[in-house]
Amino acid sequence: MKISFAQGVAMAISESLAADSRLLLIGNGFVGLNMEARALLEPALREFADRILVAPVSELALAGAGIGAAMAGQRAAVDLSTGSFIFQAFAQVVNEAANVHYMSGGQTTAPVTFCSLAGMRSAGAAQHSHRIQAMLGQVPGLQVLVPGGADDAYHMLKWALLQSQNPTVFISHALLLGETGELTPGAPMLPVGKARIRREGRDLSIIASSITVPRALEAAQSLERDHGFSVEVVDLRSIAPLDRDTVLKSVAKTGRAVIADECHRSFGVAAEIAATLAEEGLAYLKAPVCRVAVPDVPVPFSPPLEAELTVTADKIVAGALKVLNAGSTMRRPV
Amino acid sequence: MQRKNDPGERVAAMLRIRRFEEQCILLSKDGQFPGHYHVYIGQEATAVAACAELGTDDFVFSNWRNHGHLLARGAAPDRMMAEILGKAGGYARGKSGTLHMAVRELGVPATSALVGGSLPLATGAALACKRQGRGVVVAFFGDAALEEGACYEAMILASLWKLPILFVCENNSIPPAQRQRGQYTSSTLPAAQLVDVPQALQIRTEAVDGADADALAECFDRLVAEVRSEGTPRFVEVRCTRWPGNFPLWPELPCGQWQLDWAFGQSPDRADLATWLEQSDPLLLYLRKIVAAGGLTREQVQALDERARAEMAGAVRFALDSPFPAPEEAYQHVRAEQGATL
Amino acid sequence: MTDLALDKLYGFYEQLWRIRLFEGHVQRLAAKGEVPGFPHLSTGQEAVAVGVCAHLAANDYVFSSHRAHGHVLAKGSDPYATFAEIIGRQDGLCRGRGGSMHLVDAANGVMGATGVVAGNLSLAAGAAWAAQALGDGRIAVVFFGDGATGAGVFHETLNLASLWQLPLLFVCENNGYAEFTSREEHSKVAKVSAFAAPYHLPAETIDGNDVLVVNAAAAAAVRSIRSGAGPRLLECMTYRMAGHYVGDAQRYRSKEELAAMKEKDPIDRLRAHLTQRGEPAAELEAIEKRVASEVQAAVERARQAARPDPATVLDYVYSQPLSTTAEA
Ligand SMILES: Cc1ncc(C[n+]2csc(CCOP(=O)(O)OP(=O)(O)O)c2C)c(N)n1
Ligand SMILES: Cc1ncc(C[n+]2csc(CCOP(=O)(O)OP(=O)(O)O)c2C)c(N)n1
Ligand SMILES: [Mg+2]
Ligand SMILES: [Mg+2]
Repeated sequence: MKISFAQGVAMAISESLAADSRLLLIGNGFVGLNMEARALLEPALREFADRILVAPVSELALAGAGIGAAMAGQRAAVDLSTGSFIFQAFAQVVNEAANVHYMSGGQTTAPVTFCSLAGMRSAGAAQHSHRIQAMLGQVPGLQVLVPGGADDAYHMLKWALLQSQNPTVFISHALLLGETGELTPGAPMLPVGKARIRREGRDLSIIASSITVPRALEAAQSLERDHGFSVEVVDLRSIAPLDRDTVLKSVAKTGRAVIADECHRSFGVAAEIAATLAEEGLAYLKAPVCRVAVPDVPVPFSPPLEAELTVTADKIVAGALKVLNAGSTMRRPV
Repeated sequence: MQRKNDPGERVAAMLRIRRFEEQCILLSKDGQFPGHYHVYIGQEATAVAACAELGTDDFVFSNWRNHGHLLARGAAPDRMMAEILGKAGGYARGKSGTLHMAVRELGVPATSALVGGSLPLATGAALACKRQGRGVVVAFFGDAALEEGACYEAMILASLWKLPILFVCENNSIPPAQRQRGQYTSSTLPAAQLVDVPQALQIRTEAVDGADADALAECFDRLVAEVRSEGTPRFVEVRCTRWPGNFPLWPELPCGQWQLDWAFGQSPDRADLATWLEQSDPLLLYLRKIVAAGGLTREQVQALDERARAEMAGAVRFALDSPFPAPEEAYQHVRAEQGATL
Repeated sequence: MTDLALDKLYGFYEQLWRIRLFEGHVQRLAAKGEVPGFPHLSTGQEAVAVGVCAHLAANDYVFSSHRAHGHVLAKGSDPYATFAEIIGRQDGLCRGRGGSMHLVDAANGVMGATGVVAGNLSLAAGAAWAAQALGDGRIAVVFFGDGATGAGVFHETLNLASLWQLPLLFVCENNGYAEFTSREEHSKVAKVSAFAAPYHLPAETIDGNDVLVVNAAAAAAVRSIRSGAGPRLLECMTYRMAGHYVGDAQRYRSKEELAAMKEKDPIDRLRAHLTQRGEPAAELEAIEKRVASEVQAAVERARQAARPDPATVLDYVYSQPLSTTAEA
């Protein structure tokens, strides 16, 4: 069946509330302004109203309350709304949730999920456009899920709510909410920690996550159609855990890599993938890798300026062509 | 966990904390463990009174000054001391140290060393208690927490969501004369008294003298029962006066270890310590009172003290003998075990 | 209150209308897709901005929230540059970088609106502290909503302001809602002014829909703050006549509530007051007409203004170049 990303989120929450009476929701946003998904979510919000807590503008304590409840035998999902608001909650997410299992020497677990609607969402300006995954990737102890499709949104969120034993940041993207995908009811999910090959190819690997997945797929299509290249798209799905093996295997096959990432260029997800290729995959590379990422500039409000920074399919194509035409300049290691 | 209102148990519990902390200071001076640490000397009666009201379903949250809370809750001094020394025999096999000590099996799932950091967590645990229909939370924190937004947000949620939590603010910087009256000034908070802040958030509050073990016992008996039966938060400010050994950056033992004789006629050489003992030491004041009232004899007290000293000496031996964790343990417990699919 | 000079009252009337009409244009053009993002309108809350800003000099500091248009206009910023910013043009107050939620007009003392609820409070304390340290006689005013009182930083800032006796006026626009949640649901504390009491920070709750009431209360508060008597808080009870943002379907408000809202309209109330005083209706209509054409002209001009050049996207990231700036 065809569902949207937001519907996947709504279904995961509704089904999880029904499946596990320990699950509490702190706040009730989760699907942004996607009205179809909201309609899908609403029956569950009504049915399980006693497990849904009103959330004042107190992100720090809302996050902490989710962690504390999880430590004390519940499971919790905290709606942190726009990705940038996780900064109000950082002290609890980064310095409590992530550390508690480790610092207690394994005594305590905190199965809590923080839901963030992150990313460049169009006219959010600098204060509502953060991509938070790379920063959170610096925090051992956290799981950071960055699904790029409706199927993964559904499965991975449900997994986080029902199965995970660790604090998780589940990152949706405002511009992904309406993206649709095929979901086969009852089909097994791809394990968390495994990247997904969204499209197979021979000449180039595009490594993508979250919003750059549909854009990479679009780029791959036009590279094939307009330039005759066979392009593979790797959807990372999560950046903690990070499936380096699948990335390396894909690049071993294609010999070329473009990394499409909506984080800032410096110290971003793309930077980590590039470092992995440099450390473990240099022998496979026929050309230098290329990062297609957001320049190190706060996200501006005005549409032409935001567009200038946005990682579009066109920019991925341009980066790909650079890599595809650069074969001869790379000296092979001996 | 001690029996309520048994003078012998109450004295023993306070003595155990005091003797534990003294050993901690001695071990630190001896270079046996790295890093900063905080002792609970002078506040023992608070943890003892509060934890006497708690059962196995209840939760306790603390901060960097956690040794007293943990001991009163029933933690094993040898494992605590091993943890403080970073040894494999510790509760977290050396991963938490003194600042973040937690004992999950006793309802102390995590300890934050960030000012105010435990309060949102404690609020969440109270939410779990409410959902599960059992247990309450006691959250201990210092006066500085009231300068943190985290504390304020946690109290807002506890009030709004009607959670079974007792906020215990241990205000340990009050001159003796002002413990009863309030109206102390602070360089960091203009409120006339700390309880004014939670009151503005619609939380019922109370203040109690932290040097009066009987008053504390009465107060916690009542407040914990109210939280339990009404399921709503309470806030208590425990007004204590800082022990002179806690004034230097690193704790020190003024005039050596605390002496039982100081309760009965003798006096230490240092005037500040002597004054503190007379006016503000909850242990000494309670001993005097209970012995005078015939609740315990001096000999009984002496025996309890010897037992506490012996127990803590054993804890020190255990901790010193315990091996350090193997280096590869650094990689353990980053994440809890879990399945990767639904 | 009634002894205000007539020109002052007309001035208020003009300013209320300017904001009302300005917001009307934002709403209209947002519906046509000409306003990027989700602007928040101050329609219905104009009297707070006007009544407070009447007592500020150009160099006094104003910090605003996500619902900022009214504050910026009342502080005297140019409607053209303000509107141009809201629609992302190069002539905008922030050269199109900020948009509706991040309006800054530093030359006019508007230090900034913020998209982060409560994000402005501690900044305002900092500006007030600077004014105090420099002894330059300025004060800082921070506008925030009732929702912001859930944030810990609100409490931290009340404490600092009182502790340091800062020349800072907290103005809470209590419109009864934080997004789609009513105040009864999101807080146990009926009055925002009650939060200030523990810190001995003088606070009062007033009718924020009556510009004369706001004017009088703000006059007293600002006078006291300027005299060095420390911070104050005004809780202005008001009502958001529009949705939370343009496009909000407002399913959470009843018909009765929306109908009762009409009676709270600050413009109607000032008009009634003036009429009662015997001021001619023609005079008021003349003001309305003048403001309407002025705002209309500013909006039309802004719509014609150039969009920023993408080549300038690297501008303003740092106020002075980093010594080893890598290419972006
Ligand atoms: C968020 C944070 N800020 C600062 C510190 C440093 N710090 C450690 S203890 C302390 C003072 C705490 O005083 P109080 O809460 O009264 O507790 P006490 O030590 O007196 O028991 C501070 C500021 C910290 N640990 N966490
Ligand atoms: C830190 C933060 N959390 C959440 C939001 C989302 N948000 C935007 S406006 C708003 C409600 C604010 O209510 P209030 O302060 O009363 O202002 P009003 O909109 O009523 O003017 C919220 C929660 C935000 N912008 N910033
Ligand atoms: Mg203290
Ligand atoms: Mg509001």
